[in-house]
Amino acid sequence: MAARVSTSGAALLASLAALSLLTLTYGQIALPLADTVGALTGTRSSDLARQIVLEIRLPRVAAAIIAGAALGMAGVLMQALFRNPVADAWSLGLLAGGQLGVALTVTAAAFAGPAAVSFLTFFEGPSITLAAATGVAIAALAMLALGRRVGAITLLVIGLMLGFTSQGLTSVLLHFAARAGGRVYGGWRDASFAGVAPSALAWLSLPILIGACVAVATAKPLSSLLLGETYARSLGVKVTSLRYAVLAATVLLVAPVVAFCGPVSFVGLIAPHFARALAGTARILPLLPLAALGGALLALAGDAIVHAPWEQHFLHLNAILAIVGAPVVILILIFSPAVRQWR
Amino acid sequence: MLDLRSLAVGYRNTRGTVLSGIDLAAEPGDFICILGRNGSGKSTLMRTIAGLQTSLDGVVLLDGEGVAAMRPATRARRIAVVLTERQFNPGLRVEDVIALARQPFTSWRGGLTDDDRAAIADAVAVTGVEPFLRRFFTDVSDGERQRVMIARAVAQTPRLLVLDEITAFLDLPSRMEIMALLRSQAKQKGQVVLLSSHDLDLSLQLADSVWLLDGDGGFSVGTPEALSESGSIGRAFDTEAIRFSPSQGRFEIQMSASASP
Repeated sequence: MAARVSTSGAALLASLAALSLLTLTYGQIALPLADTVGALTGTRSSDLARQIVLEIRLPRVAAAIIAGAALGMAGVLMQALFRNPVADAWSLGLLAGGQLGVALTVTAAAFAGPAAVSFLTFFEGPSITLAAATGVAIAALAMLALGRRVGAITLLVIGLMLGFTSQGLTSVLLHFAARAGGRVYGGWRDASFAGVAPSALAWLSLPILIGACVAVATAKPLSSLLLGETYARSLGVKVTSLRYAVLAATVLLVAPVVAFCGPVSFVGLIAPHFARALAGTARILPLLPLAALGGALLALAGDAIVHAPWEQHFLHLNAILAIVGAPVVILILIFSPAVRQWR
Repeated sequence: MLDLRSLAVGYRNTRGTVLSGIDLAAEPGDFICILGRNGSGKSTLMRTIAGLQTSLDGVVLLDGEGVAAMRPATRARRIAVVLTERQFNPGLRVEDVIALARQPFTSWRGGLTDDDRAAIADAVAVTGVEPFLRRFFTDVSDGERQRVMIARAVAQTPRLLVLDEITAFLDLPSRMEIMALLRSQAKQKGQVVLLSSHDLDLSLQLADSVWLLDGDGGFSVGTPEALSESGSIGRAFDTEAIRFSPSQGRFEIQMSASASP
C-alpha cells in the first residue's frame, strides 16, 4: 500500500509539472517551450517572455496549484469529519459563507468611507482572508451542528441551498458596495485563479501551509473517527477536540482560497475519491498528499482549458469544473455504498 | 482485576439513575454474561464500565486504577469494546478496520511495528476473518462485520473486553462460534470478557458468572446454575406467556396464557 501511495504520488507530481509547463507556454501569446524554461531559470530569454511567464502566468498557475491542493485536503478532512462522501467546502456552503464574509466586509468598508476602503486595499491580504475565514468558520459550525441531525443527502441539499442563498446575498451586497466605491476583482465571484497578484501568493499559501500541518497532525485520530464516535473514543480519541482541530484545519485551508480565488467548485469533492481509489485505503494520512496533488492537477487542468488560446475568452473555471465534476458526483450518489446506507 | 465499588450508573437527565449500589469483582480469565430484558440497563452499565460514560456514583477499577480517571490513551490500551452500533465508513477495508485497533499503541503517524503486526495477525487467525481482509467493510455481511469488529477488539490486546449485544444479527451457529471464541480468549489471554446478550441458552451454558438485571433496578450475580435454581432468571424474564424452567434450563410457553380456541 505504501508503494501504491508513493507511485501514484510520483505520477501525479510528474503530470502536474508537465501540465504546469504546458500552461505557461500558451495564452494570448504563444511561447516556445525553450523560452518558457529559459524565463523560469533566468537564462536565455527575452524580457517580454520573462515578464509574461513570471508576472502573469506563473502566479496564476501557482494559485491554481496551491488552491487545488488546499481544497483537495479540505475535502478529505470534511468527508471524514461528516462521514459523508459528498461533503466538501463547496458542497456544504463553506465557500459561499466565506464569500459572504468578504462581501460584507467590502460593503461595510465602502459605506464607512474612503478611509476604510483604502485601509482595506492596503491590508487586502490579511483583511479579506480574515473576513473569508469568519464566514467559512460560521458556515462550517452550522453544518457540523446540522450534520448530527440529518442524513448525508439532506445535508448536501441544505449545504447547496445555503450556498445559493449566500451567493445571492453576496451579489446584492457587491452591487451596493460598487455604488459606494467598494470593489472586488471581477472574476472572483465566479472563481478564477487569474486575479491572484504575485504579492498575494504569500497570503494565499501561508494559512494553507499551517492548515496542511494541522491536517497531518489530526490524520491518525481522524482515521479512527471513520468507525464512528463511540469506537473512536474507545480508541482513546478526544472526539470534541478532534472536531475543532479538523474544523480549524479546514478553515485555514479553505478561507484563503475563497478570499483570493472565489468559490472553486467540485475540486474538493472529487479529489478525495480520486485519492482513495489510488491509495486503495481510506486511512487519512496517505490520502492527504494524494488528494492535494489530485486537487492541484484538477484545478490546474480547469485553468489550462479556460486559458487555452480560444478565439474568444468565453469559458469560466466553474463551468469546466461543473462539466467534469457534476457527472462524477451523480455517479457517487448512485453507486457509493456509503450513500445508499443513509436511505 | 475488575472491581465495581458501590457503582451507580445512569444519566444526569430525566432518565435518572438506572442501576445503583453495584459491588462486583471479576478475575482474569472470567467470561461474564450480562443478561436482562431490553431497557434493563445492560448497555448503560457496560458503557460505564468501559469508561465511555461517567458513573453517577462509585468507581470502576481495572487493576486497581479508576477507569474514569485514566487518560483516554491509557484506557484505550486496556479496554476494547464492540457495539451493535453500525457506522458507514467510505472506502475503509476490513484490514484497515482491524489495524485501527493498534492506534493507541502507535506513534503520531499511526505506522505499525512488528508487535502491532503480530497482534493483528493473531486476531485475524483467531477470528477467521482472513478470507475477507481485502474487502470493503461496507460490503461484508452482518455476521462477517461483527466478526471483524471482534477481530479489531482482540487486536487491541485489552485487559478487559466489553461486548454489547454483538450476537443480535447472527444465526445460531455463528452465535455459538463467537461465544465459544470469546470464552477461549478469556481463558488463554487471562482477559476479563464482559458480554451482554439476549441469548439466554448460550449464556447459561458458557458463562463463568452471570450478572442478571431484573429491569427494576435490581440485580443478582452468580453462576448460571445457582441463578436458574434460585429462580432469579425466572423473575427477570417471565411474562404471562413464557416461563423459565430451571430443570430444563430454557423457557417454556404457557399454553393456558396463549389460549384461544
